[in-house]
Amino acid sequence: MNVINIAHGAFIMLGAYTSYWLFVGPMHLDPFLSIPLAMAVLFVLAYLTQRLLVNQVVRAPLLTTFLLTFALSIFIANLAQVFWLSDIRSVTTSYSGSSFALGPITVPWIKFWTLVIAALLTLALQTFMTRTKLGRAIRATSMDIDAARLAGVDVARIYALTFGISGALAGAAGSLVSVSYAITPTMGDSFVVRAFVVAVLGGLGNVTGALVGGLVYGVIESFGALLGEGYKDVVALVVLLLVILFRPYGLVGKATA
Amino acid sequence: MHTARDWHHRFFAFLSGIAAASILTLVGAAAIAPPAAADDNVITFGAALSTTGRDSREGALTKEGYDFWKEYVNSQGGIKVGGKLYKVDIKYYDDGSDAATSAKLVERLITQDNVKFILAPYGSSATFAASAIAEKYQVPMVDPNGAAEAIFSRGFHYTFAILSPAKKYLQGILELSMTLKPRPTTVAVLAANDKFSLEVAEGIRDFVTKNGFTEVFYSEYPPDTKDVATLLTQVKAKNPDIILSSGHLQDSLLIMRAAKDQSVTSKIIGFSVGPSTPDFITSLGPDANGVMGGAQWTTTLNYIDPLFGNAERYAKLFELKYHHIPDYHNAESTAAPETFQFAMEKAGSLDPAKVRDALAALDVETFYGRIKFDSRGVNIYKPMAVEQIQNGTHMTVWPTDAANASAVYPLKAWGQR
Repeated sequence: MNVINIAHGAFIMLGAYTSYWLFVGPMHLDPFLSIPLAMAVLFVLAYLTQRLLVNQVVRAPLLTTFLLTFALSIFIANLAQVFWLSDIRSVTTSYSGSSFALGPITVPWIKFWTLVIAALLTLALQTFMTRTKLGRAIRATSMDIDAARLAGVDVARIYALTFGISGALAGAAGSLVSVSYAITPTMGDSFVVRAFVVAVLGGLGNVTGALVGGLVYGVIESFGALLGEGYKDVVALVVLLLVILFRPYGLVGKATA
Repeated sequence: MHTARDWHHRFFAFLSGIAAASILTLVGAAAIAPPAAADDNVITFGAALSTTGRDSREGALTKEGYDFWKEYVNSQGGIKVGGKLYKVDIKYYDDGSDAATSAKLVERLITQDNVKFILAPYGSSATFAASAIAEKYQVPMVDPNGAAEAIFSRGFHYTFAILSPAKKYLQGILELSMTLKPRPTTVAVLAANDKFSLEVAEGIRDFVTKNGFTEVFYSEYPPDTKDVATLLTQVKAKNPDIILSSGHLQDSLLIMRAAKDQSVTSKIIGFSVGPSTPDFITSLGPDANGVMGGAQWTTTLNYIDPLFGNAERYAKLFELKYHHIPDYHNAESTAAPETFQFAMEKAGSLDPAKVRDALAALDVETFYGRIKFDSRGVNIYKPMAVEQIQNGTHMTVWPTDAANASAVYPLKAWGQR
């Protein structure tokens, strides 16, 4: 949609806090069960963000939305810090740390289910984008905003909806990372860079590509760490450079896309 | 083709983007740094602390320590310097856990806010950078949290660290290990590659080679790491008796979780920073039990203090205000401005050079321990302690004369803690 949302990391952080508060609250809701709630909360928040803020500058050069969402991410993180302090919080469930053996490999259950849910969400998004009228409208708007409008697409609504969906996915991501990582107001920053790298690896705008890109990035990073922990970013970013050089449309994308 | 209206729209959009960004940043800064009162009867100290970023938790603990001293001193009437009573105030900035920003803000405190006494930032890297600024403007800085000796190897005269140097941090755990039966022998060392953590690791490795231990694994990792699974897989393959890790709170939590994920077992696990903080126990729950940490200070140490009475009374007063038992970051951060206070009272003057000389000559016992500096400005006279988490509370297990519990050894299996 030609919008790079730097505040995506902040949305992930909010999703993680949503799961955290539901987990420590009176309902003691399991973080995996709070995924739909985190998605709903973040959908609304992202929808409103788009309608009230990003929509004002959506036709402006890319850098403007970049700047706006960057400011937004700083604002959200600081707001979170005012309300929730910089305390490091964690969701520790009864099954945290339990794992199963796959031959010589130890697979933590949490990581396994995280992967399964990520794959399911990707599949759902892919189906939505290709099989539904709304999904087609989103793709049409992203290809040619004027043509879409001429064809009767309510472009402003589609933009807000797209932002809302991306927010909902960030919410789900937040719930999923809340069981693996420490939850702090600034936790989103490191995810933004990685998400961006993963999106480029997979091919920008490519739904299944993002999943493949994520897996490839994770594997490269882990093997890079065998050279020494300090090298894992180097190895991963070198691969990114190679992909940009030789397959600028991503690992999964087609040259025409 | 772009119409004039189009361009106007774009220009407006660009401006509003910039305006929004700057307003948000200003709002953030204003919320963090309330303006300090300019008053003849007030001594204003300055500190650039990590309010945001990866060290924000440690930064918050530091600020609690500073603020506690400020409010206590003011409630007692203030500081008496040269026959005149002064109230105290502290001006804060947020360095975003970035050393270069910290140094810039310290320069701003000195040159624009006219602050003549600096309380150091959190952490060795930031203190390292800030100390160069203090030296440049000949403004004394007292450092509660920067333990790397690299800060003091440059012949500076204006920075004074009240805490024990980094190399001593985890040696206590090894000293304790030598008294345990069966004696653990193999050691795996993990270190974040920042100044402080590397010196802690150096201290461990020195001790290991001199005292009959065997180092079976050593690895450094970047301080902003998010995933240490590969690292812990490698540690597991070596099956060490002791795992010692020098890093900061977030790293310690990551390592603990990855160790559990990978079912890494050892007889002892210890961290330089982490176990002493309240967050460590709340985050890990029962898994935190048995973990050891090097501690600059614990509430059970028996020192007498001219201001607070003793360590126990300090802890009690502190808990009344902040609703948690002070950890060593809190304690050293109260002891730092207190050290300034004693030096000022002794100097009988607020001239930065005279206060510096008084700091250099200071020898006083506080609730935090003895404060006396060597020629570099390092407090080598104060011992370190070892804490172990037992049933969700911090117990001092080393040195024996300050211990209020004996060490639980070996570490219980995951799931049975």
